Amino acid sequence: MGIHDRLIEDVGLRRGVSRLTPEKIEKTVNAVLKNETGARLKVYSETCMRCGMCATACHYAQSHPDDPSYTPAGKVRQTLDVLLDKGGKVEPDFIYGMAQLAYTECNLCRRCVHYCPIGIDTGYIMTVIRRICHKLGVTPQYIQDTAHSHSATFNQMWVKDDEWADTLQWQEEEAREEFPNMRIPLDKEGADIYYSVIAPEPKFRTQLIYQAAAIMHAAGVDWTMPAEPGWDNSDMCMFTGDFEMMGRLKRRHFESAQKLKVKRIVMGECGHAFRSIYDVGNRWDGWMWHPIPVVHSIEFFWELMRDGKIKLAKKYPGPVTVHDPCNVVRGRGLHEKLRELVRFLIDGDIVEMASHGEHNICCTAGGGVINCGPPFKNVRVAGSKSKAEELKATGVKTIVAPCHNCHGGLEDTVHAYHLGMEIKFLGDIIYECMEKPEA
Amino acid sequence: MKRCLPILIVAVILAFSQLASSQEDMTVIAPDAFGKLTRPAATFVHDQHNEKAGVEDCVLCHHGGSDGVQDPESSTEGIPCADCHAVQPDKGTTGLSKAYHLQCISCHEQSGKGPLACGQCHVR
Amino acid sequence: MNTIYEFVTGPLAWLTWTAFFAGCAWRLASMYKLAKSKDTSSIAFMSWKYSLRSIAHWVTPFATLGWRKNPALTVATFLFHVLIFAVPIFLTAHVMLWDQFFGISFPAIPDPIGDYLTIVVIALCVFFAVRRLQDPNVRYITKKADWIALAIVFAPFMTGFLAFRQILDYDTMIILHILAGEIMLVAIPWTRLSHMVFAVFTRSYMGSEFGGVRHARDW
Repeated sequence: MGIHDRLIEDVGLRRGVSRLTPEKIEKTVNAVLKNETGARLKVYSETCMRCGMCATACHYAQSHPDDPSYTPAGKVRQTLDVLLDKGGKVEPDFIYGMAQLAYTECNLCRRCVHYCPIGIDTGYIMTVIRRICHKLGVTPQYIQDTAHSHSATFNQMWVKDDEWADTLQWQEEEAREEFPNMRIPLDKEGADIYYSVIAPEPKFRTQLIYQAAAIMHAAGVDWTMPAEPGWDNSDMCMFTGDFEMMGRLKRRHFESAQKLKVKRIVMGECGHAFRSIYDVGNRWDGWMWHPIPVVHSIEFFWELMRDGKIKLAKKYPGPVTVHDPCNVVRGRGLHEKLRELVRFLIDGDIVEMASHGEHNICCTAGGGVINCGPPFKNVRVAGSKSKAEELKATGVKTIVAPCHNCHGGLEDTVHAYHLGMEIKFLGDIIYECMEKPEA
Repeated sequence: MKRCLPILIVAVILAFSQLASSQEDMTVIAPDAFGKLTRPAATFVHDQHNEKAGVEDCVLCHHGGSDGVQDPESSTEGIPCADCHAVQPDKGTTGLSKAYHLQCISCHEQSGKGPLACGQCHVR
Repeated sequence: MNTIYEFVTGPLAWLTWTAFFAGCAWRLASMYKLAKSKDTSSIAFMSWKYSLRSIAHWVTPFATLGWRKNPALTVATFLFHVLIFAVPIFLTAHVMLWDQFFGISFPAIPDPIGDYLTIVVIALCVFFAVRRLQDPNVRYITKKADWIALAIVFAPFMTGFLAFRQILDYDTMIILHILAGEIMLVAIPWTRLSHMVFAVFTRSYMGSEFGGVRHARDW
């Protein structure tokens, strides 16, 4: 059993592998291991005692209880272990499986961290594997397309420069029917808040921009959005292993905010983008922290509610359950604030899933997995069986999930496992429930 | 093991019946001071040992001394070791078991003969 | 016999201690150097507070999610690690030797208890071995290095047990026991047993990242 028994045809992986030779693989693998990894990887691979404690941490393993090849250490066994044991002397076919595993069977959610006594970060190991795959040119087609889009346009969805500004103005115009004085201030220098979104918002989730603008307006926030590239905070390059491009993206984003001399960057309800800006991309660019403070929507909305900036006309009918996105909970510890905020907003209880807070189970979409597209959808949905069971056990009909990827993943899970649940962004609920005095 | 068994039996009988009244009869080291022994008493047949080892000078083992400093000149023949070496020694003095261990092992080391490891003396 | 015994407890023992300490120091120093040159974006975040917080949780049985979800392994692991340090250090026979060789004395575990605890360690080694073979998740990830590490730790306890009970030839067994202990010490820096020196750092790093950057628990 193992990844090579469940290979899935993908144009990107196939084409990439077809260009490989064992010599090229060996050279690339060893170059990455030697030049880009150090004590961390070495100690991790040497001192993992193969105790198997992490086995039950991973939702893929929980969803395939009889198949050890889905466990965190099992994934390392099939990838890094082989590369190290063979000194990078592996065949192109091996790279196919390794890439499929690293890109589609690990969400980099780091839940296994809570299980490893010596603190091994399997997410990091999988990231190194992805880095090698990227350098070998073996990446799933769909996610590579978004990475190409980042390279060409500095956004994930091939949104052209003029389309971006047009979309914002279109949303502004739409919203002014509801809020006659509302603006979406572009390039406003010295604003308190620089609001950044991911490219799918202008592309096909424009209502999220509409809602965010309505909330900013109702709360009287001094905010702006940039008119030029840099506005997209998302980062699929971080997940493909294209760190050079990740660095360019994050630099552009921060510089766009710096140019406008804003006080803070507030990020929309996205998890991976937050990880990229808050934790990963900044380091690649040499910033230990951030040139401009970075705040996730959860915290920002929480501040608005705490300060009474937003008045509610009604509360959203509960009970609800709260899905904790890995990147802002295990990645930023926002679970308490998320719950406080949800309690502000709903009428009824929060029914917790068996695994919640830092111990949450991933939506199975994160880490770029959903971005690998339709070829791997079934793998992803099968891997979310344990999540589906926890969701079902809550018995509620509403999931609050403040992350785009989580939405995508949970929608598929809810559909596939016939859970009949609706999934809400915080912005959805705030917009629906807030007082709209001018309306 | 079979070979050791009779010795063991003898040793145990001797240790508990306190028959060993003089050195000529001595076959094990098991002074009363130890009370209940934690390991089988070390086999030590006094005369036989000394004959084999060529030990003639009593003071070689029965040394004198005070305040934790050994005096290799003054003989303490006839005085039980436990009279000077307490089982629970004061600071700066040598305890009884350590005294035996040092005495036996260091000599065995120097001569290159005789037991060194625990179980070679404390035979079960 | 005396020549061999004196050799393994004399020159070889000194060589062993030297190799052990020098090996550990070398591994730590070279790993630190490597981290300094390749992992600066990680070590920049090291924090005493969060390192200690993480360590404190992970050295407490059942204080972490992983420990709670693996209760049998948790009990076995804690017992095992306490005993493989406590038994060799505090065993009566070894306390005698600490005194004899190094002139340091401290209280000892009485022989019958030491004997019993040694059996516990041996039983735990068997437990780990059986688990490796029986649990599919563990079997799948087990490599030769894992068996070697287990064998290296098992050997001194097994031979120690046999020597103490004077089962089989004592003279041979005591030599084997000493050699097994020496092999273990020398092997620590170079095998999976190196987690003895490295785990505190991997743990600290994870604690620092989660505490200082991610503001979340790593347990």
